[in-house]
Amino acid sequence: MIFQQILLDIFLKLNNERTVSSAYHLLRGKRSGQTIQDVGIFSLHAYFSLLPKLTRQKFDGFVQLFAENGYLQMDDAGYYSLTSRGIEQARKGVPCTFDSWHYRGNEHIFYERLSLIVQALSHQSANIKAFIPIQRDEGIQYFARQFLLRHQYQSGALQVLLLQEITNSLEALAVTEEQRELLINRLTGVDLPGFTWQQLAYQAGRAEMDSQLLYISALHNWLGHIEHYPYLADIAQQLRISMPLTDSAYQTAKLFQQGLSLQQIASKRNLKQSTVEDHLVELAMNDITFPIEHFVNQEELVQVNKAVLSYATKKLKVLREALPHLSYFQLRLALARGGN
Amino acid sequence: MLEQALQKHFGYTSFRTGQKEVIEQLLAGRDVIALLPTGMGKSMCYQLPAYLLDGPVLIVSPLLSLMQDQVDQLKQFGEKRVVALNSFLTAEQKRYALHFLHQYRFIFASPEMLMQPQVKERLRAIRLGLIVADEAHCISQWGFDFRPDYLRLGEIIPKHNKPPILALSATATQTVLQDIERYLHMQSPFYFLHSVNRPNIHLAKRFFQQKDDKINWILEHVQTTDGPGIIYTQSRSKTETLSMALLERGIAAAAYHAGKEAEDRQFIQQQFLVGKLEWIVATNAFGMGVHKGDIRQVIHEFMPANIANYMQEIGRAGRDGQPAVATLLYADGDEQFSQFIVTEDLPKMQHIEHYLANGDHPMRMLDAGEISETAFRVLHYWMQQESSEAVQKRLQQMEMDKYKAVHEMLQIVQATDCMRERLVNYFGQQLAEKTPNCCQNCGLVFEEILSAKQTVEEPEKILTWQERLQRILLSSLR
Repeated sequence: MIFQQILLDIFLKLNNERTVSSAYHLLRGKRSGQTIQDVGIFSLHAYFSLLPKLTRQKFDGFVQLFAENGYLQMDDAGYYSLTSRGIEQARKGVPCTFDSWHYRGNEHIFYERLSLIVQALSHQSANIKAFIPIQRDEGIQYFARQFLLRHQYQSGALQVLLLQEITNSLEALAVTEEQRELLINRLTGVDLPGFTWQQLAYQAGRAEMDSQLLYISALHNWLGHIEHYPYLADIAQQLRISMPLTDSAYQTAKLFQQGLSLQQIASKRNLKQSTVEDHLVELAMNDITFPIEHFVNQEELVQVNKAVLSYATKKLKVLREALPHLSYFQLRLALARGGN
Repeated sequence: MLEQALQKHFGYTSFRTGQKEVIEQLLAGRDVIALLPTGMGKSMCYQLPAYLLDGPVLIVSPLLSLMQDQVDQLKQFGEKRVVALNSFLTAEQKRYALHFLHQYRFIFASPEMLMQPQVKERLRAIRLGLIVADEAHCISQWGFDFRPDYLRLGEIIPKHNKPPILALSATATQTVLQDIERYLHMQSPFYFLHSVNRPNIHLAKRFFQQKDDKINWILEHVQTTDGPGIIYTQSRSKTETLSMALLERGIAAAAYHAGKEAEDRQFIQQQFLVGKLEWIVATNAFGMGVHKGDIRQVIHEFMPANIANYMQEIGRAGRDGQPAVATLLYADGDEQFSQFIVTEDLPKMQHIEHYLANGDHPMRMLDAGEISETAFRVLHYWMQQESSEAVQKRLQQMEMDKYKAVHEMLQIVQATDCMRERLVNYFGQQLAEKTPNCCQNCGLVFEEILSAKQTVEEPEKILTWQERLQRILLSSLR
């Protein structure tokens, strides 16, 4: 199962240093300092906010299954450790790639826009004036209407242009034929209703969740390669997250760029110093040009990297004991950079 | 001429049963209670008057999916002045809608929305042309889907210059009809009661000893007789497993329940409509808004909670007037399960205690997940109306009523005389004439009604994704 492999991959990357819950928060895309820092420290960008609607019940079911299969052991505090069997299974890898960090569920907005536009164009070619829109969200409906007007759909040429763009871009994409089919089979048109997840999964002999994951993977790949296709790029507008920060971290970033010190930012924003530190770590993680040398020098960075290797851990507590002259804040900055 | 108006606004040349009578009375300013079967053009009773009366028509509809369906329908006729006031609106959308409320032709609203002070105030300031209570049986606690907020609909009916009121329902007993008349303050309303009998739906039943035998019967039955059809079952997981079993036998089937994604629900409805699906395995969430005339079979894998539900669900078959069969499956002890299900959603005695313990913040019970939303709605309403002792009595009574309803349904199952006659009598009507192949007890030969399973057609050519996309976008070039 693909989902199983993803979950094992996350546990492998978290290196037995976090609770099982942190994997859950990661998949749901919890916007907390801890989760976001974990993304950087353990290189988990692919999975942040991959499944915003995942239920705890379902997640726990899989963890339970792992325990039963002897893939991992749990302790009372919620920490886990992968067994050699679990590690072996995890190393079999995940059969598709994701870029959740930059889309965070927005890939679904792209598809909702696209499917409504396609449905409308289908009815236009069949000369049917009214239909029940496949998307109920008024924001999506507004977008689709504006798109059609902007590109003079009345001329009747948009169908062919969009057909070419979709066909060409999908053919050039490094995804499987099954994934291309998933994308097109979820579209709906006159006399050609879309297929349900139950149907698609049944045809492929997969679990519904796995078909959905392959579909999301295909969407991430597609979105990453459509900038040269003007109509598709227009449909995808403003969905890629270029500065993926929490709002509060964004405010801190602005003040930092104006040259305020950590203490000044804390007092001006009426925040605890530790909170501002969280923000700066988040910044460092997202922006490789962030000047961490304000806080840690080159020599100290080298020391941290060596310690991570020799102790085979990214646990702050262990690193702090090995490098007592560095603060937790400095260690986290160093790790954030290491993650990129 | 009403027919001309009908042609002009909707493109139909003639009225269906009851529509004209109801509309004439409304235009003359009289209140109307109309009992019309679903799918027989109930909505036209207010849709056409909206173009002939001054002022917007307010339609109170307790079921969100139904409301959406009716809004879609009107939009398909090209009507733009439609608004639906429900909990899906954002604050911004709601402000806009309320500001321009008087300019709409159709205002749909849920009962809960109606009770919000700002909505109430706005509605009072407008001169409405007509007030419609859709699914009006929900107003009566004797109706099968009682909605307490619906009771307060009376509060928004103006005392002076009262517009006519139209109450619509497909299933209402005499008691329910009386409740509707009273709660809506109707003045000697005109009654249009369509016969609840659907002569082209033949009523079958089958008895089993084991529950599993029902499933085996279904699997055998769908392989030997033709659909399209609906199989009603009681749980979401059962819709999934049963539909899988059908798929594995090469039958085009799909599961349908309220837990499915909105898009999947639409895909299923569309596929069913264009004939790509033969069987839908569904919870009672399926049916509303399904406008398919040629449904030949409805199978109940379990016993419905009451007769009204049963009638509504079998009523989805044979809307084209052609013969159809409704088969009810019963295994020993099924009624115990039904009793459990029907009282599950009722508030219990301990909920009254918790309600009191939470003082001014009873909503905390909901947040804590102690009580379902439906149960809370009922409890909250009555706790505001009367003492906790009285509510306690009332809850006991409700439980008894639900049991009684299950029992009434069980009697239909166990009866040895005409099922049709019993059902029609239950709604206070008389059976005018007998139908051949009437029901299981009168004698019913499946083969005379259902066609045998057609030899499997050549499976449709599977399109490549490129071909499919091309067909969707360039459908005119097919």
